[in-house]
Amino acid sequence: MTGGGRPGSPSGDGDPGASREATSPGPLSRHILSLADTKRLLGIRYSDWLLGSPSIETGIAASSMAQDEWGHARLLYAMLKRLGFDPFEVEHTRPADRYYSASALDHPFGDWADFIAAVVVVDGALSVALESFSGGNFTLARSRVPKMLAEEEYHRQFGTAWFARLASAGGEGAARLNVAARAVLPSTLAWLLPGDDVYDELVADGRVLPGEQVRERIRIRLGDTLGAAGIALDEIEPDRAGWDPERRRGPGAPGEEAVERARGDRNRDLFVE
Amino acid sequence: MTWGLGEGVYEVFARKNRGEPLRHIGYIDAPGDELARVYAWKTYDEENWFEMCVVPRRAVIPVNRLEGPWARNLPEGTE
Repeated sequence: MTGGGRPGSPSGDGDPGASREATSPGPLSRHILSLADTKRLLGIRYSDWLLGSPSIETGIAASSMAQDEWGHARLLYAMLKRLGFDPFEVEHTRPADRYYSASALDHPFGDWADFIAAVVVVDGALSVALESFSGGNFTLARSRVPKMLAEEEYHRQFGTAWFARLASAGGEGAARLNVAARAVLPSTLAWLLPGDDVYDELVADGRVLPGEQVRERIRIRLGDTLGAAGIALDEIEPDRAGWDPERRRGPGAPGEEAVERARGDRNRDLFVE
Repeated sequence: MTWGLGEGVYEVFARKNRGEPLRHIGYIDAPGDELARVYAWKTYDEENWFEMCVVPRRAVIPVNRLEGPWARNLPEGTE
């Protein structure tokens, strides 16, 4: 990954904490990479269910949400150009262990319950993070993120309705949903609320909301939905075991197969700039 | 009116510009109103719609033709 410099700008959109050695993104770059990589991986996981979802309409919705996530990722990667990165290299050359995506997306969804849990928890956390980012002082986020959030509203409706449907059905489906949601919550809460020095620096620079405000927003967004499945969000502790402050996540990496798709390895020779 | 997944049929109406009449653009199957809204928006997204609505097929009451797809919605006693 090239870049990581501190180009600075009259609008104050540079990333003062970035390393000049080009290997350690500054707080703002880490934040954008984490958002973009998580959206890219989420789009890949959604795309696995274009076929095989419970109905044609559901598959179309999954397809559309995958497109949304990939489009949002592209816009977020493009923001890195302002911070001295080459977006093409960021998107197409990194190995899996250089991805900053939320660890909840490291593996494919095993079933439809996993899919719905991810729509509610991971996609929901992404939206809260984007709300926080769009309310900060980074001009590109202020101008570009609101449209993403408008598109994300349909993801919220989709996830909430399906979650409620599965939870109220009882039986094996509700049990699987409960397990699936509990599986992704601790690491996703850690991703949303890193509680580390890098995040504190972002807050101090006015880029994002303080952690306690973000926590309140995720509580409002997810509390009732998860409650329908018997999950009390306040009782879930963020899992920061083995925390990697640079990649804003725990140990591990997304599967190589997913990263090959994210990079577009098979079509590398067909890239046109 | 439910089948299989407990889904119902919703008719989809939309218009491209303010002032134009809503026109019927298709239908979707959905298990409830909220998912019907999402499915309609995501399925018929080829246009930049100004307005889109969904109507449960069971709410469409025929007026002059007493046979056809909506006949089952006729009020009891209609002849």
